[in-house]
Amino acid sequence: MRRERYGTSFVDAILPRVNLHARRTSSLDRAWRFIATAICYIEFGIAALALALVVLPLARLVPGSELTRRTRARRAISAGMRGFLRLAVFLGAITQEYEGLERLGRPGQLILANHPTLIDAVIVLAAVPDLCCVAKQALWRNPFTRAAARAAGCVSNSPTDQMIEGAADALRQGQSVIMFPEGTRTMPGQPLQFHRGAAAIAIRAARVVTPVYMSSDPPTLGKHQPWYRIPERRIRFAMRAGSDIDPEPFRRGAPAPLAGREFNRHLLELFTRELARSP
Amino acid sequence: MDAEQITGMIRASLVELFGLDPARITPEARLADDLEIDSIDAVDLIDHVRRATGRKITAEDFRAVRTVGDLTHAIERIVRS
Repeated sequence: MRRERYGTSFVDAILPRVNLHARRTSSLDRAWRFIATAICYIEFGIAALALALVVLPLARLVPGSELTRRTRARRAISAGMRGFLRLAVFLGAITQEYEGLERLGRPGQLILANHPTLIDAVIVLAAVPDLCCVAKQALWRNPFTRAAARAAGCVSNSPTDQMIEGAADALRQGQSVIMFPEGTRTMPGQPLQFHRGAAAIAIRAARVVTPVYMSSDPPTLGKHQPWYRIPERRIRFAMRAGSDIDPEPFRRGAPAPLAGREFNRHLLELFTRELARSP
Repeated sequence: MDAEQITGMIRASLVELFGLDPARITPEARLADDLEIDSIDAVDLIDHVRRATGRKITAEDFRAVRTVGDLTHAIERIVRS
């Protein structure tokens, strides 16, 4: 399995630093990371506006089939997110680790990830350029995000029947779908809870299910943590693709609702075990 | 399909899909609170009814359904229309 690391920042050449992941770093380093974090937020806002107001509308003007347009919109969004993460690495706000990326984005693949931080979706979409994303319905309430969600062919998580059918259709068409079965960011230290919708979709239509384990060290950008609370060390975001799960044996044993429940239990155990293993 | 057949079909579906004890399936039983059938299960249930009746059925037809009795009436209406 391939591992990739992105961690080299220009500040490493300037600021004295004993060890990137030392328990404590200097207050100068922390002050810089505050500035770097603020710059990243500003860049994200500007890039998102540019994408919604300029890039995506322009891309719509270029001729092409529905499919070409959707792929184009997804690639543009993915590129925007990659740019944002590169900036964050370059400024020294974060480092990133990826494992098993080459197995993501296959046709009919349902990717299920845990959701510890604000930027999990950004990290996943940056890494895999053509994904159908099951997203919070709130995206459709804001005109900017609605335009992006439509262009990229996202599926709303509400109402439930439309989410299940929308995501299942995308999988049957051979798209690769990403979902966060927790539904929202959850508190660190709390036991994991998965909504059964993801398992139901897996049972209905996934060719293969691939778990993806997200983590941030130290825990940061959680639901209860404001952005300006800068952690004592540079944040290390890791995204690790686990082994494929074949939903077929679950399907064969039981009718869909019972198979979904069983699959959900299996997922919960798996994630609980795997997340306890990684930092 | 008459009322009795519909009641029988619903009973059989609930037993088959959710592994419920037939004794719990009374007309007054609430789907969500008593039988633990949530909005996700409803999608599978509607699929099942669609196949059993051969009718076009959408989730919209079942928005007001709360109990097993409501479900029977909703399907009766669809089958008759």
